[in-house]
Amino acid sequence: MTKLIRGFNETNIWNLLAFLIVAATVIPVANLALGVLPGENENWRHIREYLLKDYVVNTLILFGFSGLFASLIGVSLAYLVTVFDFPGRRFFQWALILPLSVPAYIAAYTYSGMLGYTGIITRALSGLFGRDISIDIMSVPGAIFIFTFFLFPYVYIISRAFLAKYTASLIESAIMLGKNYTQIFFQVILPVSRGVIASGSALILMEVANDYGVASYFGIDTFSIAIFKVWFGMGDVGAAAHLSLYALAFIVFIILAEKAIRGQKRFAIATTKVRLLTPHRLRGAKAAIAAGYSMLVWSLGFFIPFLQLVAWSALTYEEVLDQSFLQATVNTVFAAAFCASLIVCCAAIITNSARISRSRLVRTAGKLTAVGYSAPGAVIAIGVLILFIWLNAMTELFWSYSLITSIYMLLFAYLVRFMAVGCNSLENGFEKIGKTYFEASRTLGFGVTRTFFKVDFKMLLPSMIGAFSLIFVDMVKELPLTLILRPFNFNTLATKVYEYAHDERVHHSAPVALIIIAICSISVYSLSKLDKE
Amino acid sequence: MFLQLKNINFKYDGNHQYVLKDFHLQAAKGEIVSILGLSGSGKSTVIRLIAGLEVPAGGTIEINGRLVAGPDSFVPPEKRKVGMVFQDYALFPHLSVYENIAFGLSHLSKAELSARVNSLLELINMSEYGSRYPYQLSGGQQQRVAVARALAPKPDLLLMDEPFSNIDCELKQKMRGEIREILKSESATCLFVTHDKADLEDLSDRSITIEPN
Repeated sequence: MTKLIRGFNETNIWNLLAFLIVAATVIPVANLALGVLPGENENWRHIREYLLKDYVVNTLILFGFSGLFASLIGVSLAYLVTVFDFPGRRFFQWALILPLSVPAYIAAYTYSGMLGYTGIITRALSGLFGRDISIDIMSVPGAIFIFTFFLFPYVYIISRAFLAKYTASLIESAIMLGKNYTQIFFQVILPVSRGVIASGSALILMEVANDYGVASYFGIDTFSIAIFKVWFGMGDVGAAAHLSLYALAFIVFIILAEKAIRGQKRFAIATTKVRLLTPHRLRGAKAAIAAGYSMLVWSLGFFIPFLQLVAWSALTYEEVLDQSFLQATVNTVFAAAFCASLIVCCAAIITNSARISRSRLVRTAGKLTAVGYSAPGAVIAIGVLILFIWLNAMTELFWSYSLITSIYMLLFAYLVRFMAVGCNSLENGFEKIGKTYFEASRTLGFGVTRTFFKVDFKMLLPSMIGAFSLIFVDMVKELPLTLILRPFNFNTLATKVYEYAHDERVHHSAPVALIIIAICSISVYSLSKLDKE
Repeated sequence: MFLQLKNINFKYDGNHQYVLKDFHLQAAKGEIVSILGLSGSGKSTVIRLIAGLEVPAGGTIEINGRLVAGPDSFVPPEKRKVGMVFQDYALFPHLSVYENIAFGLSHLSKAELSARVNSLLELINMSEYGSRYPYQLSGGQQQRVAVARALAPKPDLLLMDEPFSNIDCELKQKMRGEIREILKSESATCLFVTHDKADLEDLSDRSITIEPN
């Protein structure tokens, strides 16, 4: 009997809640991964026979080249701005993060507008050379260009922090041993930062896998596109689920590869002492090349498309800012604020119970939420769809409400997708606070729950606000989940941009795109602050 | 005996080796006992077990005649009536000195509460510091506040984890004397952990040495 009573103490209630939330967020993907699949059907056999190879090849090409180019640009720029001093260095240090504030699909629409027959770049080139020169961006190389120039900051940010903190003595001793800076880059910096580059590239590849906007606009068949086509074109959840499984395999591959590469990096940092490097001053041609290279990347990845969007907005804002735009804004803000608050609360429960629990199971459960963030949006959408079809069938007998056409399905999918963002931020927050305040409060007579509200909550508040804004931003630009799961006629700012672009009205997408970019720069700002710490 | 640990076994999660094996400890009411040992010998663990912050793998703990940890029972820290002073003091940074000391007194009426907090502030010679925040205090002041906060709910037992490790040498001696006076005037039973032999002579009535297991 005493055991039974002990079983219901406060800690266990926290654990139970945490467990339920984690289970809810993991089930949709686990469902797919554990093979709760409908049997093979005609559609799936057709896809497997004739189309699957294309999806695999396209995805691999996009992964390979985007990952490679983005890593090269990211790490070389990081090296440049930490090791050298050149005109504009301080500006580029933070400005090179800006491309992350432009969602890849917006970049794709903008570039295809600029490179279209009447686009500004095409006209400029024609004027310059006196004949028609057109660059076809709506192709696989075009998609690689977009992913490279708008996702490279993932590698840039992590490797810059790493280089600035840990490699000063390595670089200095290499110079003493008679190496020049190019040799140092290839012989010291690249091998030593392998682990960091791997982490950054993994993030890039996950974004590429998650992408729907770029590939669909450019007409490239990737897994996300295939999942869309199968679901919207054929209404075939089974085949979509089979495809999702393949897409998941890619993600597992990325994660394992990252672990394998990182696993060997331990030799890299023999010292934990942080010493900042005094940058080496470049002069003359070298300084011009360094500044020119940074300028080129920054212009292509942010400034040029940004200017173009501003110019287009000036033309179209009066037409665009109408009732439907207002509705989309309300939808976006409501969905983002509601889900972000809910996720922060759930994440607080998960991370707090992980922190106070003695069971290793509970402590690792929080990590499972990462599944939702790693898997491509289209895959999560199918997982959630299957779950809700099943729920609908269960409740049909006594409840006539259709869950599948409701907004709840989409909101739930957002929770699945972004729970990991909340958990990560709050976990870091709790780590900073430490456990002694919690223990002090316990010895002063406060239980787990009262301690949480009286002590932990107040100290965790900054982290909670940080988590809220990160999730909010991620939600604002989210596209694939929203497109698959939204109720009829439900628009967010992101789907609005998507619809304009797909209606061949790229100019009209500009004002909305600018709003999204403005909101996204919030997270870029917090990233740059994180960087400084 | 006022405090009694019998046959205590303990190991940390994921560790095969026991930190404590068949450990015994007793203390009489009003006694100040110091626990001495090398780092890693498990001396802090003893204190955490008594506070209820860790669960023993075996054995029993009794405080003031009440079984707080045994094979079938475990009283959570908030119900043990044990005060604790942490190594880094753990003063809540979002609360003032007054609010920190008042934290464990929410069961009292407002008048009783302010009387108790003010008398403690007087005891630690910090009556003027009630509205300050922890970051505005020196190390020695923070420590006194931490002691006052732990004593405020009149615990059966006060535990201190290396209370002098963050204080510089000159201040240490003075603090030891002050803390001893405070403890004696509250007639508190106290158990504290240290690795500094000087602490024993100045502060404690009796000392125990833990050998690494």
